[in-house]
Amino acid sequence: MLKLTAIFVGAIFSILPYTAQSQKATVTYSTHTISKQDKTDSALAAMLKPYTENLNNYLHTVIGFSTRGLFKKQPESGLGNFMADCIREITSQKYERSVDIACINYGSIKSFIPKGDIMIEDIYTVIPFDNVIVLQEIKGNVLLQLLNKIAERGGLPISGIKMQIKNKQAENILINDKSLDENALYIIATNDYMANGGDGCNMLKNLPTINKGYLFRDAVIEYIQQTSKKGKTIDWKIQGRITYAN
Amino acid sequence: MQRRKFIKETTFAGGALLASSLLPLNSFCVPANDVKNITILHTNDVHSRLEPFSQEDNKNAGLGGVAARAALINDIRAEVEHVLLLDAGDFFQGTPYFNLYKGEPEIKAMNLMGYNAATLGEHDFEAGMDNLANQISKATFPIVICNYNFTNTPMEGKAVPYTIIKKGNIKIGILGVGIDNKGLIPDELFKNAKYNNPIESANTVADILKKENCDMIICLSHLGDRYNDDTLSDEILAKENYHIDLIIGGHTHKFFKEPKKYFNRNGNNTLVNQAGWAGMQLGRLDYSLSRTKNKNTTKSQTIVIRKKNAE
Repeated sequence: MLKLTAIFVGAIFSILPYTAQSQKATVTYSTHTISKQDKTDSALAAMLKPYTENLNNYLHTVIGFSTRGLFKKQPESGLGNFMADCIREITSQKYERSVDIACINYGSIKSFIPKGDIMIEDIYTVIPFDNVIVLQEIKGNVLLQLLNKIAERGGLPISGIKMQIKNKQAENILINDKSLDENALYIIATNDYMANGGDGCNMLKNLPTINKGYLFRDAVIEYIQQTSKKGKTIDWKIQGRITYAN
Repeated sequence: MQRRKFIKETTFAGGALLASSLLPLNSFCVPANDVKNITILHTNDVHSRLEPFSQEDNKNAGLGGVAARAALINDIRAEVEHVLLLDAGDFFQGTPYFNLYKGEPEIKAMNLMGYNAATLGEHDFEAGMDNLANQISKATFPIVICNYNFTNTPMEGKAVPYTIIKKGNIKIGILGVGIDNKGLIPDELFKNAKYNNPIESANTVADILKKENCDMIICLSHLGDRYNDDTLSDEILAKENYHIDLIIGGHTHKFFKEPKKYFNRNGNNTLVNQAGWAGMQLGRLDYSLSRTKNKNTTKSQTIVIRKKNAE
């Protein structure tokens, strides 16, 4: 009798949308795209407003001045030299040790620094991603691999190095005016992207690394503020750090 | 045991049908309190996107923003009775708001929207664990994460392995799992916290929730949906768990066209869903739970998935 009833009921349930003996649930899915054209909630908008206003004031803070503007270019550029010098100096300050070399991948700089007043917002445009600056200990022979990779890729922002590119190889390398010692240990400042092997830099992947989570962007903002305090403008020049050998 | 209970219940319904076949269908087939509908709304990887993307943004111009999301959530709450609003981590980091305010407006926005629970992504640690502990202490929703051990860290006591929420007569257990932060963020940001295997931790906690008689068990996960190697993922969790009905995922920023359906260790379905990133989309799953609970039954039970006709 029980069994019969169950079968009978099963038949009834099959006309309902959600149940059958073998089912637990029906799930109806949908996704809602959220856009600024939609209506907004006034409580949220009111909460956010003072934060947005204050943020805009912050982003429009003038932190320096550039007479000519800074632009990026391979194999070497004013903007690249500025960024690499900045990382070398600020990591040296933050990690309290002398730094021999600094370099960052070419793609980490997304835009340019316009001539005239430099605002914090400009630095967010140049560095939209939250990459951090790190220190690594690198042996001369591994550094040579890195410099050859840099040569192969046509140069990147670098500080503390002078070299030439010939047949996609690094030549006439000088490290702070001294020739490269393959057995020496150097301290190199870079960003987490390169230190993790980005841009073909696998040789950096397993090096001893110190990472305090200090943002690349914050380093640039701080460096511009420090430079301005000394009464200098943000005008970096090409110095022949990386050139093509003819 | 459960099976017998099912037959008993259906017998009652059948008896009612025989006795009063003239009544309209809805009034007798199922006792009113047996219809269990719940709407799950979810976000992941919002990354401090409080305002919509600017008009200059190539791909996402005008998309996202908490004020529009809140209005949408309010509309859905007006339309259906039982709503859960969940987030799968990385609510912090990614816009200047976070660089300046370290997460304060993000938490305020989530409070105002009425989030019910969230888990943590690696980027939520970006301004340090002290900061994270400070910000989430102001949250009106629990942070659920069961595979991070925060003993002797600033986060100790600030997160829970799971929470149980009752909506009407539906009891929902919500747990959370976090990714292995090693190599994703500087070690210093995770300090003395310990990462445990998320699959084992999730199974232990889901077992507790099952014993608590939860009608539904949801895992908020920041593992990522799937990888081409054996890296732990939502897909692996979906196959290797026993009691989880739904995994709300994140980390991999995937816009799922529909939830993915897996068979878990009990032969039941575990669904996985993910809603992209930056709050450009709100994921929505409308559940109709039938009264055939899967406790102790050996027969496999499947979930029927359907697309909602129009937004």
